[in-house]
Amino acid sequence: MILFRNGNKTKTLNAFHIISLLEGFNLSSLFEEKKREEKEEIRFATTKSPETMVAKLESVATEMKFMVDKTGDESSLRMKRNKIGRKGRLGIMAEIWAVAPSLVVVEVKKSSGDTLEYNRFCSKQLRPALKDIVWTSGYESTPAGVVGCIN
Amino acid sequence: MGCFNSTVRKPAPGHENPIVLASQTAFSVSEVEALFELFKSISSSVIDDGLINKEEFQLALFKNRKKENLFANRIFDLFDVKQRGLIDFGDFVKALNVFHPNAPQEDKISFCFKLYDMDGTGFIERQEVKQMLIALLCESELKLADDTIETILDKTFLEADVDQDGKIDKSEWHNFVSQNPSLLKIMTLPYLRDITTTFPSFVFNSEVEEIAT
Repeated sequence: MILFRNGNKTKTLNAFHIISLLEGFNLSSLFEEKKREEKEEIRFATTKSPETMVAKLESVATEMKFMVDKTGDESSLRMKRNKIGRKGRLGIMAEIWAVAPSLVVVEVKKSSGDTLEYNRFCSKQLRPALKDIVWTSGYESTPAGVVGCIN
Repeated sequence: MGCFNSTVRKPAPGHENPIVLASQTAFSVSEVEALFELFKSISSSVIDDGLINKEEFQLALFKNRKKENLFANRIFDLFDVKQRGLIDFGDFVKALNVFHPNAPQEDKISFCFKLYDMDGTGFIERQEVKQMLIALLCESELKLADDTIETILDKTFLEADVDQDGKIDKSEWHNFVSQNPSLLKIMTLPYLRDITTTFPSFVFNSEVEEIAT
């Protein structure tokens, strides 16, 4: 079992963490006028290890001209686009959660910058780059090349 | 308290006096007024009666009046203090108050406990947690093997269920949450603190698009 120690290993979740992570209830939509699809968070599952995910995200980030900041704990990643966009540099944060030994959930959020740019980045660059490591339900074994982003 | 102008308003049906509500909650009078705009829009979306019924609640939460889920049902029940199947404005404000950043931790811990205690027995049973987990994973289109789920439950109950009786009681929950404060994150909606600035005008479309399922 992977235990959470400060800054050392990936966070492991108990049942209630998972429940809140999966946002079983999220009252903020009472206040939102837009539909859920426009939510800026991407959440997906993968069978890759947390370390592999960090490495993969880092390489994706570098390829897309983002600067990666790993000064926080080892299960989250911050990156900022080098280019200055409409509302400053686009900043992304990715958090990596170990749900079970064989299942890792990654949550990607915008941390700064323009939302439209972020949405464009996600659909045009991030999702395609992560296509081969996203895991979908119904396949108990290794992922086929199926895209299954859960939002 | 200072001086403020209070305009004399004729209370609309379901509209408790905002000054009274403000004094009982962490909201200011103008914040209660802002919440009333939100309440009006939700409560009139299916039946225009100044009360929120289950369908209207689902519509507001999921943008889909037919969509149901375990948690929405439970939250509706907790908002519906008088157990009439309807939420009035007072219920609405007082329930949202628990999610205010300034609300007492005690209230949040208590609400959260009641939320997870689906059948209201006063205990969070292992079977209940399993049910919630499975429902949620299903909704998120994630599937986990049954023994993976059992392992997660084992680990959770090992930590939370101190007397190992298979269920989590109020005081065990208290301790557990104190050791895992991130579990209470869901009990706070940060923008409730400045609701009038975050939502300067609650302009809601009266024709909310319904997603046909």
